Amino acid sequence: MNKVLITGSEAAALGAKLAKIEVLSYYPITPAFPAMERLSKYIDDGELNCKFIRAESDHSALAAVLGGSLAGARSYTVTNSQGLLLMTEVVYHVAGLRQPIVMGVANRALSAPHSRFPEHGDVVSQSASGWIQLFCENNQDILDNTIQAFRIAEELRVPVMVNYEGYLQSHTLEEVFVPEQSKVDAFLPLKRQPALDINNPRGVNTVTSPDFYPYYKFNQNEAMLESLNLIPKVAAEYNQEFGANSCGLIECYQMEDAEHAIVAMGSIVGTARILVDNLRKEGRKIGLIKVKVWRPFPVKAILEALQNVSFVTVLDKNIVFGVGGALATDLKAAAYGRGEMVINGAILGLGGGKCGVEEINAAVMETESAGSDKNKSVWIGL
Amino acid sequence: MTINVNSLPQVELFGQGNVGCKGCGAAIAGRQAMKVLGERTIITIPASCMATLGGSNTRSAWRVPFYHTLFECAPAVSSGIRAALEIQGIKDVNVVSWGGDAGSADIGFQSLTGAAERQENIIHVLYDNEMYMNTGGQTGSQTPIYAITSNGSLGKKVRKKNMLAIMEAHGIDYVASANIAYPEDLMAKFQKAAAKKGFSYIHILAPCHRGWGIKPEETIEVARKATECGLWELFEVDEGKRTRTYEPKLIPVADYFKAQGRFKNLTDEQIAEFQKFVDDYYGKGE
Repeated sequence: MNKVLITGSEAAALGAKLAKIEVLSYYPITPAFPAMERLSKYIDDGELNCKFIRAESDHSALAAVLGGSLAGARSYTVTNSQGLLLMTEVVYHVAGLRQPIVMGVANRALSAPHSRFPEHGDVVSQSASGWIQLFCENNQDILDNTIQAFRIAEELRVPVMVNYEGYLQSHTLEEVFVPEQSKVDAFLPLKRQPALDINNPRGVNTVTSPDFYPYYKFNQNEAMLESLNLIPKVAAEYNQEFGANSCGLIECYQMEDAEHAIVAMGSIVGTARILVDNLRKEGRKIGLIKVKVWRPFPVKAILEALQNVSFVTVLDKNIVFGVGGALATDLKAAAYGRGEMVINGAILGLGGGKCGVEEINAAVMETESAGSDKNKSVWIGL
Repeated sequence: MTINVNSLPQVELFGQGNVGCKGCGAAIAGRQAMKVLGERTIITIPASCMATLGGSNTRSAWRVPFYHTLFECAPAVSSGIRAALEIQGIKDVNVVSWGGDAGSADIGFQSLTGAAERQENIIHVLYDNEMYMNTGGQTGSQTPIYAITSNGSLGKKVRKKNMLAIMEAHGIDYVASANIAYPEDLMAKFQKAAAKKGFSYIHILAPCHRGWGIKPEETIEVARKATECGLWELFEVDEGKRTRTYEPKLIPVADYFKAQGRFKNLTDEQIAEFQKFVDDYYGKGE
């Protein structure tokens, strides 16, 4: 395995290249564009045999990738924030058509007011779309999750988003171990399943009556739930093949005897590890749960990890207005009926707001002092 | 290139079992086009009557791969399909996006202009019934001036957007108007478009009797009058060379308008306005 110093954007592009994507389309947007440019360079330099469709909008970009997938090609795109919102109609459509498309999302705050900085608000808007959503703690996760995403998507015929944060990850250099191409080829065998097959004509997305529609939706949901079984297996196989350290649904850090747990996803996880180490030195029984898979929500795995915990601080880099942070809301729903455990959410890092050790510490302290008022989210850094 | 109707294949690649209204201009256009496009065709159709009448649940009226796309993006999807075929080395396939006037000229215009500018190897068809018939017949950019629609009881105030001129301005391989009342002309144009390596655009006048206020059995007759009166010229621009493909008899435009309920409030002055337009246009000669 080769070790390189690359940005998150490069890790995403490298993951897609190692997966030997065949159809690529995108519409430039900040901060996803460096991943796009890198992929185009691979194609121009002859390092990647892939057809690129220079779309005139984000909506058309995902539509073109969808066309590629329907006709049997391994297809990929990258976007974020406003681009993702413009794509939203196609995002839902892709999931309904059960196309195994993988999309990198360089998470960025949504307008208005205008912001170009990292936040999870963009993908939180897609929570009900039927895409599996993986979150990345670091650039290694971006590469590992991108490769695994194709395997998951193609086995279940469910599309996958690989989320990494704008700038904090997309533009930041980290050491990344790169798997060998031949091993990735073996890990990702290409089995074409074209819905639009010239030798086997079929109608796709015909008008569907109430007699049929619920069955499609039931099966779609079953496939999403099945991913909770598949994703850990894929991660385990990946780790074995590549000597990697990719977690399944979640990763527990210092949770063995923890009474207080921090639950978080994305880049903030790495920083929260430092805080947990600091608080452990002070004798606090605190741990951390990294949520890699947010959609579908891994209820069983998280509740098992929280079995002996009495207090949870959830860190959300997003806000669902009038409700709270999306992760905290999910966790509260999952823990319904679980007795005395208090789950309080903290909102931080919106629009690129600071998410250092100090802020996460404040989130821990302030959620504790909020007590058992479960409807309360504390806002950090205002 | 000429078409001999007697030598066309017997097989109906589109149409059997379609749930269009009787006298549906769109379905007639689809049947004619498929006679020359043949079975190695993949067709994508954005939201429209044509998308819904072509299949429901597990049934399809198409004997070729057919995909009912989202409203805005049939040419983008077709671009992706072509890319996937190329990467797999699958050759000799016509990739066709087939939109209504809304899915091509209005909500679908962005992806159409994008695919045309990229010179994608696809054929885009605008089947034009000059209003949004799938939602009950509202006004759109392809609705002619003065026409009454379901949400415009006073008639449209502004002129129809000239999509043929817009598409010609893209400098694509092939641009043509067509009319379901002239099947040989229509089919010859599809034959030419299918042979191109770049982008082709075919704009078919395909009346909707419900929207136009005519009887189902008058669809072809009224469509023919549109061309014969000079308002729907049949022409092509083949790699930049413009040719009129049919010389109309130039009957009075009033004969065309008076057949249609949507123009029932047209005044003599308004008719004269159209007549002058036609006279000036054809008077110039070519």
